[in-house]
Amino acid sequence: MLAANIHPISSPSPAVVEKSSSFALSWHTAAPLAKFKPNRISTSLKSSLQSIAVPEVDKDATSAQTRVEILSEALPFIQKFRGKTIVVKYGGAAMKSEALRASVIADVVLLSCVGLRIVFVHGGGPEINQWLGKLNIEPNFLNGLRVTDASTMEIVSMVLVGKVNKQLVALINKAGGTAVGLSGIDGRLLMARPSPNSSQLGFVGDIVSVDPTIIRPLIDNNHLPVIASVAADSTGQAYNINADTAAGELAAALGAEKLILLTDVAGILEDRNDPESLVREIDIKGVKKMIRDGKIAGGMIPKVDCCVRSLAQGVRTTSIIDGRLKHSLLLEILTDEGAGTMITG
Amino acid sequence: MGIRGITVSDVRGFGAQGGSAERQAGSEFSEDNFVVKVKMEIVVSKDQVEEIIAKIIDEARTGEIGDGKIFVSPVADIIRVRTGERGEKAERMTGGRSDMFSVGSSSTGAR
Repeated sequence: MLAANIHPISSPSPAVVEKSSSFALSWHTAAPLAKFKPNRISTSLKSSLQSIAVPEVDKDATSAQTRVEILSEALPFIQKFRGKTIVVKYGGAAMKSEALRASVIADVVLLSCVGLRIVFVHGGGPEINQWLGKLNIEPNFLNGLRVTDASTMEIVSMVLVGKVNKQLVALINKAGGTAVGLSGIDGRLLMARPSPNSSQLGFVGDIVSVDPTIIRPLIDNNHLPVIASVAADSTGQAYNINADTAAGELAAALGAEKLILLTDVAGILEDRNDPESLVREIDIKGVKKMIRDGKIAGGMIPKVDCCVRSLAQGVRTTSIIDGRLKHSLLLEILTDEGAGTMITG
Repeated sequence: MGIRGITVSDVRGFGAQGGSAERQAGSEFSEDNFVVKVKMEIVVSKDQVEEIIAKIIDEARTGEIGDGKIFVSPVADIIRVRTGERGEKAERMTGGRSDMFSVGSSSTGAR
């Protein structure tokens, strides 16, 4: 989203969503030009083209003209963000649904192809619970927060770094990107210390320092770092780090242009009960006022705090977007309307 | 607001926070580390001071440690090097507050 004017609060028009799906369609086709000029192709060329596996394009839904117009409209955004680093925190529904996961990954690979530098950070709550169950370890929760004792921490580390991380890397590689999976432990990327309430919550950590040296060569060479939010302290003890926090501090360390948090809600709502009252753009002052007024509550507050902390450390803009929307990343980065709430400094 | 000039410098600094660490570039900095900061110096007339303070706080406050401090100090004299003007005349700048609020006259009166 371009942070030029304050947009009046309005609901996303259906046309926007349609636009984005047709925009995405154009990228799924391997050889669109060839498909629309059958008369120009010689016999030998035609037979070689037939052997290329080209996914079916619904030509009736979007004409070639519309598709290239949409592509061309994305140019100003691509120019604005080309070469800039964008940290995306992946979690929630977008992580659980196969279809949404595929769409996020396709978006990430697309953005990486046009020159944006994406860093992917993930958590993985539901998977952890599943595996704790398989190993007959009872998950403990205190006031809604997971208690991570030593045995739980082992599982958390294994699941996040070993399973979820590598799965994402494999999917990105399959989609055509080149992903490298790391955790906060690798290269001392994230150094942790026990958080103040660790006596009750176990091995949950706060981030002491971020050293992005190890991922800079990856980013500079158009590879996609996928970071699991597990970090170690100076003694080597692993800690579970909140993925939003990890993404925020990483964005600050990299001097990122954007921090994007994928969530399971539409964004920050002016009126909690009115899904149409999405706040599209707001600054730190405004968002603090909303917290004081009680309009932002519950699980949204830590996310907003994480955004404010990143903005205070120099990240240009932060966004909380709706991960349940297909192609939410493209909507947020390549359109004016966006897919959630953008918080600016 | 009528502010027409400002000096900005890149500096390093720290302020002991009594235990809480300041975050910079993702890492926590304790009291003995210098952190990169920006220093702004603005010379204004006395009656503008409160307005400017309010504006700076409004725009720059993030609520995090490291937001910084505003020091208000008196200025003994202002001299414009190019013309040798001193005092109020030197402080005035075209398009500034005095031009914004004076009615019609282009002379140096009004304020």
